[in-house]
Amino acid sequence: MKLRVQLQCKNLHEYLKELTPEILDRLYNHPATCLAVYRELPPLAKNYVMRMLFLDHPLPQAAVALWVKKGSQKDHDQCVSVLTGLRLWHSQHLQGGLQGFVLNPVFKDNLRIALLGGGKPWADEGANLGPDRHARDVESLDRYAMERWEVILHFMVGSPSAAVSQDLAQLLIQAGLMKSETGEAPCITSAGFQFLLLDTASQLWYFTLQYLKTAQSRGMDLVEILSFLFQLSFSTLGRDYSVEGMSESLLTFLQHLREFGLVFQRKRKSRRYYPTRLAITLAAGVTANPASGSASSALGAIPGTGDTGFIVVETNYRIYAYTNSELQIALVALFSEMLYRFPNLVVAQVTRESVQQAISNGITAQQIIHFLRTRAHPVMLKQTPVLPPTITDQIRLWELEKDRLQFTEGVLYNQFLSQADFEVLRDRAQGLGVLVWQNPAHRVMVVTPHGHSEVKRFWKRQKSHS
Amino acid sequence: MVNVLKGVLVECDPAMKQFLLYLDETSALGKKFIIQDLDDTHVFILAEVVQILQERVGELMDQNSFPITQK
Repeated sequence: MKLRVQLQCKNLHEYLKELTPEILDRLYNHPATCLAVYRELPPLAKNYVMRMLFLDHPLPQAAVALWVKKGSQKDHDQCVSVLTGLRLWHSQHLQGGLQGFVLNPVFKDNLRIALLGGGKPWADEGANLGPDRHARDVESLDRYAMERWEVILHFMVGSPSAAVSQDLAQLLIQAGLMKSETGEAPCITSAGFQFLLLDTASQLWYFTLQYLKTAQSRGMDLVEILSFLFQLSFSTLGRDYSVEGMSESLLTFLQHLREFGLVFQRKRKSRRYYPTRLAITLAAGVTANPASGSASSALGAIPGTGDTGFIVVETNYRIYAYTNSELQIALVALFSEMLYRFPNLVVAQVTRESVQQAISNGITAQQIIHFLRTRAHPVMLKQTPVLPPTITDQIRLWELEKDRLQFTEGVLYNQFLSQADFEVLRDRAQGLGVLVWQNPAHRVMVVTPHGHSEVKRFWKRQKSHS
Repeated sequence: MVNVLKGVLVECDPAMKQFLLYLDETSALGKKFIIQDLDDTHVFILAEVVQILQERVGELMDQNSFPITQK
């Protein structure tokens, strides 16, 4: 009965698997998509695809199974399910009744193009526009991207200076990251809090997924914008590309990307755009498990963003954050009590009240610890573990305090006349997988409310039989 | 004959269970709420008291804690 919402952040494959077969098949019409999907496959599955890429005939499934040793059967099964789930290959009947695998022909053709070259150029590289008089270098693009992205985050924590377009505010509300009472400015939700504590790559990916979810209701073609996103992820940082030949809905999409900081366009009507680092790393998604990622790898996602390594945590529950970013200070304040503020440093203290306040807002102890660890100061990174164990343990204990009682809704069965009656009913409930708790000595059992009607029906039948 | 009752199964440590029994005996929530005492770590209670029970447990934890930090 816990009211906690866990923010689900899917990776690219999980997202693609949920699309309908027709959309998937249309997606594979673009070489960039095929290459992006291929890039994210597990190594064994990549090997399978490569082995079959230039075969025109289906392979017997038994032969495919022989590619791995007996001990690695599990890996093999996993690959088969990934490849089938993404519709990268199909089973097909062979002559003689055997089952065989054959690569999805559309995917096969387009992956060949992606690897060997040929086909149409993916993006117009703006060569016919001539050199840009206002050309941007990589650093200024990085700075621009982070500025744009931080405006969104600022808007979420309610900084008065941050203003975003109506579209974007609407999107944040639809994504469940903010809620808005009629006539009032939107305010942040518990999911939004969790969102703020994620690293930038995860945030961006989550946000994009939400965007794609609502894209169809805005009358956009999912395949078109997905292909464009994948194509962007293969473009070169610091190069300009031309908007020539883009459809009306793609141009709208480009304006949205511009607002999120994924592309840079000097003016709305500019005929060229620069993809930023955010767009290029986007399609990689969140493949690493963010909870287990070590401090260095989690930070490696987007270098030069300026929010890396500024927090020192001491065993006396004090947090020193060497930053002047309003946003970072607001984030630290989500789960701590502010003590002092200096131009380049804030001092805060983690207390039981502040942590429990955060937990009741829907932030988990794990997320707080993850936040502190990924933003640990280089001095902190020299010690192992990075954070003092007293602090991490205590934060977890404060969270557990809330969970001393575990509630499970259920229906209690008692006062059985005989042990045999009890056992018959219990075994039935167990067989249905609805048994929550039992005590044979006292002939008492609890089943889930959902399983109650089925167990009751069984019991009535049982009684009429005997 | 089998008796069937709807409610909520609570799983907790023995100390917390004693606290629940105490709340029940003194009718601290305005009425008795334990339907059946199952064993050391389980009790079956009325569904409607879950919310207020959580608040009571929170209050107990507040009383039991002391500030471990100094400013």
